[in-house]
Amino acid sequence: MEFNINAVLLIALVGLGTYSLRVSGLLLSSKFVKDEGRVKLFLDYLPASLLLALVVPSIIKEGVIGLIASIVIVLCMYKTRSVLLSLVLGVLIVALSRNFFI
Amino acid sequence: MKNEFKDGFIANLPIGFSVFAYGSVLGVLCTQKDIALYELVLMNIFVFAGSAQFVMVDMWSNSLDVIGIALAALLINLRYFLISASLSPVFVNSSKKDKFKYMHFATDESWAITMQRLKTQEITPIFLFGGGVCIFFTWFTGTLLGFNLGEFISNPAKYGLDFAFIAIFFALALSMFKGKGDLIPWIVTAVVAIVFEYYFEGKLYIVVAAIAGSLCAAMLSKEGKENGV
Repeated sequence: MEFNINAVLLIALVGLGTYSLRVSGLLLSSKFVKDEGRVKLFLDYLPASLLLALVVPSIIKEGVIGLIASIVIVLCMYKTRSVLLSLVLGVLIVALSRNFFI
Repeated sequence: MKNEFKDGFIANLPIGFSVFAYGSVLGVLCTQKDIALYELVLMNIFVFAGSAQFVMVDMWSNSLDVIGIALAALLINLRYFLISASLSPVFVNSSKKDKFKYMHFATDESWAITMQRLKTQEITPIFLFGGGVCIFFTWFTGTLLGFNLGEFISNPAKYGLDFAFIAIFFALALSMFKGKGDLIPWIVTAVVAIVFEYYFEGKLYIVVAAIAGSLCAAMLSKEGKENGV
């Protein structure tokens, strides 16, 4: 095992950059955000819109089964509000379809 | 305080299972790319971001394109800026030192579960920290097992484990749905994400769609109109 200076440099760069991103949003928001107004509203909506932005294209790419699993998750969340049950059902539907229907 | 650490840890265990499985896949990929164990360990500790690590390992070669890979990985991690900004209610009573200490443990998973928990109870950054440590532990052990044992979960997608991330993030998003007023911002987010993802390479669609949706929500809100900007 030899020491690769480029690899260490790369990891240091990405590590530092990622850590800066992880800290800077918090530091900046506490500086600029008052308790009301549109910036606060914008931040309040970020969690939901980030999560949606993460998943929607992946669901579409999954095709019909992705849509079916998503509808089941919507119904499950509406009826039970259980994230865990939704997780299990979603994975089960996709796993079953991949093993038995394709 | 100890209890919050434990609560955060336990709340992240279900998705930790998938994190573990995908960690093992990354470990296997590392052996195929001749990445040394110390390099994997350094990455796990200092980068600690699953999707960025997958891209780094994917682009890894003997003549390492340091700048190119770093830019690609950081572009994927841009969303952490927004994730971090949205965590400000959790850190509202925290010192700067605590912010520097705990934010490294904000992952997609630990963040999402923290934001959901925040709606029903008051929590401190210790909950986020406990969740982050859970993800850190499952990710780390997963990568090490994959690196040393090779393929023991050869194809996690066969068991739907890739969909576990989608399912939990989608369910967590739904748990944040506040009513009809959210419909338009949600549709805007979804449409922008789909269109942007289709026409542009990479993961920039996450940040673009999230900003579009949140901007739309802030503009439409009556509260905002009454309080001014």
